[in-house]
Amino acid sequence: MNTIMQKIKAFKFKEPKNKYLFIVMMAAILIMTVLMPRQFLSAVNIQSMAAQFPEFGFLALAMMLAMITGGIDLSVVAAANFTGVIAALILTNGTAAGLATTSAILLAILAVIGIAILCGLANGVLIALVGVPPILATLGTQGLFLGLATVITEGYSISGFPTEFMFLGNGTVFGVPFSFILFVIGAVIVWMLLNRTRQGFTMYMIGSSPTVSRYSGVNNTKVIMKTYILTAILAGIASVIMISRANSMRPGYGSAYLLQAILVVVLGGADPDGGFGNIPGLIMGIIILQVTQSGLNIMAFSPFFKKFMWGFALLLVMTINYIAQWYGNYKRVKKMKAQASIGSA
Amino acid sequence: MAEVFLAAKGISKTFVGVKALDNVNLSIGKGEIHCLIGENGSGKSTLIKIIGGVYRADSGTISIDGVEMHGTQAIEAIRAGVQIIYQDLSLFPNLTVAENISVNQMLESNQQTVNWKNVRETARKALEEIGEDIPLDERVENLSVAKKQIIAISRALTQNAKLIIMDEATSAITSEEVAHLFSIILKLKERGIATLFVSHKLGEVFEIAENITILRDGKLVGVYPSQELNEEKLAFIMTGRNLAFEPYRYDPSMKGDTPLLEVKHLAKKSQYRDINFTLHPGEILGIIGLIGSGRTEVVQSVFGLDPADSGEILMDGSVVNITNPRDGMKHGIAFLPEDRLTQGLYEAQSIGDNIVVTILDRFLKKSQLLNVGKKRESEAQWVEKLSIKTPTPDNPVNSLSGGNQQRVVIAKWLATDPKVFILDGPTIGIDIGSKHTIHEIIRGLAREGMGIIMISDEAQEILDNCNRILVMSNGTIIREIEDSTTITRDELLDVIAQRVAVGAEA
Amino acid sequence: MNRMIRQLTRRSETYVLLIVILFSAFVTAINPAFLTLENLFDLLRSSSGTAILAVGIFLVLLSGGVDVSCTTIAIVGQYISVNVLIRTGIDNIFFMFAISIALGIALGAINAVFVSLFRLPTLIVTLGTSSLYHGAMLEFVGTKAVNVGGLPQSIKTFGTMDVLTLYRPDGTTYGLSVFFVMLVAVLTLTYFILKFTMVGRGIYAVGGNLEAARRAGFNTTKIQFFVYMYAGMLAGIMGVMHLGLIRYSNPNYLVGTELSIIAAVVLGGTRISGGTGTITGTMIGVMLITILEKNLIMIGLSSYWQQFFVGVVLILGVSITYLQAKFQKTGRQIILKEEE
Repeated sequence: MNTIMQKIKAFKFKEPKNKYLFIVMMAAILIMTVLMPRQFLSAVNIQSMAAQFPEFGFLALAMMLAMITGGIDLSVVAAANFTGVIAALILTNGTAAGLATTSAILLAILAVIGIAILCGLANGVLIALVGVPPILATLGTQGLFLGLATVITEGYSISGFPTEFMFLGNGTVFGVPFSFILFVIGAVIVWMLLNRTRQGFTMYMIGSSPTVSRYSGVNNTKVIMKTYILTAILAGIASVIMISRANSMRPGYGSAYLLQAILVVVLGGADPDGGFGNIPGLIMGIIILQVTQSGLNIMAFSPFFKKFMWGFALLLVMTINYIAQWYGNYKRVKKMKAQASIGSA
Repeated sequence: MAEVFLAAKGISKTFVGVKALDNVNLSIGKGEIHCLIGENGSGKSTLIKIIGGVYRADSGTISIDGVEMHGTQAIEAIRAGVQIIYQDLSLFPNLTVAENISVNQMLESNQQTVNWKNVRETARKALEEIGEDIPLDERVENLSVAKKQIIAISRALTQNAKLIIMDEATSAITSEEVAHLFSIILKLKERGIATLFVSHKLGEVFEIAENITILRDGKLVGVYPSQELNEEKLAFIMTGRNLAFEPYRYDPSMKGDTPLLEVKHLAKKSQYRDINFTLHPGEILGIIGLIGSGRTEVVQSVFGLDPADSGEILMDGSVVNITNPRDGMKHGIAFLPEDRLTQGLYEAQSIGDNIVVTILDRFLKKSQLLNVGKKRESEAQWVEKLSIKTPTPDNPVNSLSGGNQQRVVIAKWLATDPKVFILDGPTIGIDIGSKHTIHEIIRGLAREGMGIIMISDEAQEILDNCNRILVMSNGTIIREIEDSTTITRDELLDVIAQRVAVGAEA
Repeated sequence: MNRMIRQLTRRSETYVLLIVILFSAFVTAINPAFLTLENLFDLLRSSSGTAILAVGIFLVLLSGGVDVSCTTIAIVGQYISVNVLIRTGIDNIFFMFAISIALGIALGAINAVFVSLFRLPTLIVTLGTSSLYHGAMLEFVGTKAVNVGGLPQSIKTFGTMDVLTLYRPDGTTYGLSVFFVMLVAVLTLTYFILKFTMVGRGIYAVGGNLEAARRAGFNTTKIQFFVYMYAGMLAGIMGVMHLGLIRYSNPNYLVGTELSIIAAVVLGGTRISGGTGTITGTMIGVMLITILEKNLIMIGLSSYWQQFFVGVVLILGVSITYLQAKFQKTGRQIILKEEE
């Protein structure tokens, strides 16, 4: 018991930035609670926050993976749209074609993963093999995926999924939304990937410098391709949750998520140039976003104001980052010079 | 001596608690070729920037051509005739030669519109002043470093430069091009333009300098006419240490039957051809030649970064296929790259992560998950083994000095337990004291049976540390010297410059 | 002559131009109505606005940045200016342009503050400002679309103004829109600025080597402010033109179409890393995207295919460029004597 207490007392965030993030997160929760205690802390609200979390969370995880390697994936939402449309088609037409509902659901999920892998491959080939900068490549594939989704649905939305399928996005297990559990599992797996596997380690290294990585024997091509396949798979999982929650799929759904995902990844401590980023930071960032969004919803702010807010928040966060980095550099240079005067190699 | 053009007296500068310069003097006469020498951290960068008006001195005076400078803006120094050419040359790769040369003048004249005829005329005149001819419409990014330097110098001339400061101008050009650069500096001298030459390469200093100012730890050590000094004296003055250069002696009993590494008829279009050599355990094989002789390209092919078109590589007697660095590593080859900062180290990442990136697989458990404990243990071990000065391996690598950073790179490769260790310029940009330590480390490795290939620009470094030497030029090996003790430095320099007829063996 | 041909083949715009020509030929074969003067005039009328916007994005890319907020600035300029006209009752096209341009410049300046003063990455900044501007407009100005009945007369007149009128056999007219004149004016002005002014050269310098530009003495802040404000101005102009074209002001239009315009600029040979690109190339790129978007219908594909095709074309285009760069990568030429 003592050692546990000691460990809690000695708990230090591995990343220094997370300390501030934690404070901001607690502050956000506190402010919302103080402003509207009854609504904010109600079971309904907490459940609703926990329910919105996962689909966005998977997209944010995907974006973070891309940004850790120094790239960006502008096509995550479009990929989610595309896989979602395919899944929706299978779900609505599967039973008609004679499949048992469970088979239809399984087939839909398999199809999502399969198509997601293809999407990821498209990005991976363009970025790792052809050498197109990630901005351009994913800008192109964004159009490709969204375009395909649009062509297939001709702009209409597809709805009417089997009730069993709805559980994925709406069901609860002991009061906790199932999708939230999925997200927690997903976050843990991504954490393990980043901190306990070769792939994760090399992703950070490539983000820091692809040249040094090449010179050190890292297989840049393989690692980058796997990265974008992973982002696509995460986008696919997000799409399953999305369509299950909304009981329909329309191309263009979730377009606001792209900006928010970038915001949350940057807020969570990732450097857009690559080489840095961590799960605890990202999760705290998502919580801050979710809490703020929820608060704004309760206070009945319009979706337009929210759009304004997200833009504002992104700019604010980046500006603060810039000032903090500048200050951090200043202090480090000071330390270096002090050390240098003591003695060099 | 001629009149004084630049007189800096009692210059001191402190940066957040660290005294970068302490009461330094510098005096350059009109048309004089002056060299500024000092180890890393000696303050020479700071001094240049103060003279150029980029930084402001805390105390002291600078007078240019008799007029005292207020040191508030770079433009003041520029108007007084001082031009700094930084190591990166500060050119615009996407613009033409003409525009690059004329741009400073265009900005100076505060004009709003561009008259292209004037731009070309200005550029043509500037090039003519130093007798150079480069196509005015060529995009600068398509030119070699040496040509880019000429453009940078021409640009300096368009602003009536009377003193041109060159910061580490010779690090990226061939010896031939260095000679050419020196001839330009002499032409400048003829026109009364002084040059302040900042360099690490002791050998060159003597070739071109008339006077040498030496800095150490921010303090002025002394000013000497170059005839009074030689390399050993200079090294001593710079470090305050008497560094004994004892040549490496190879133990022939270590030579086995089969060479560790053998290269046969290696060739790569436009880079090198018909490369043959062997490497035995305990040998330190030196490769020297002008930059661009193909030496880096050859070893990069052996390691797998840029595979050869034809030829064979044999390790321990059997042919191996090396198509990428992973193959090279698999066969026991390690490669320390020329440019530490952009090829060898992740600046912002931790020391520990930098060290283990090459051996990550060793820490994977059966489940393919990382054994963090083992990883950190290994990091600590290597930091200690190579005496890397840091309180913890978690600090970022950019918190280390140059010499320590190089040790991190060495550690990361030693960790792979290589049989052959290729070092491309292992002591570039490292102060003399650290150079010596690194040489010791390399020799120690050779004595334990590793085969070492060392590429260097400095003949003395090669002679002291290698038992066998390959001289390359224009993509081929022009001479192999079996026993380095049989040749003197001047003879070696002659071979490199191809002032002697080349033969097959010493 | 040979040298010119070799230089041309190295530039990707040449291939794009070829594709434009081939595709046009293909479409004409299927539907001869394509290659008529009337259709050409119509194409020019409907794409001049987009082309002007592309020039703005081209300038930003040239300076080394990426601007995804241009379309948002255009619609903000349009929607606010038309509403001001309606509410004040001042029915004057110059007034409308003035408001839209002023807004565009102001919003562009805000972009510049973040990019130049805080040195933040341009893609993310403009993503943020795009959301900021659009959200603010919808929230504080309104969301009601203005249909043709509610439009001030001046904009309707402006939209149909021609500088050259031709007659069809049945007596009705068609003509070369004034939009084209505006495009030509913008192209001329921009060309002049880029080629003959220090600010223009400064844009190339900043895009080529920002640090060197600073050291050389360029006022990089001033240059970046100029770039974003100029792009904002062009967006403002485009917004009004667009209203004149479609006669319907929906505050949700235009936003989201940045992809195809950036694609057009990149296909035209402008490098995303900055410093390289030409106005001609940009126009060729716009030609391709416009023809694609307009004529998929002509060859029987529904408009749903637009986004897909733009994506495909962009991917193909950049793939060719970057693959070419990969194979052209000249390792250091050491054995020169052999080649001679």
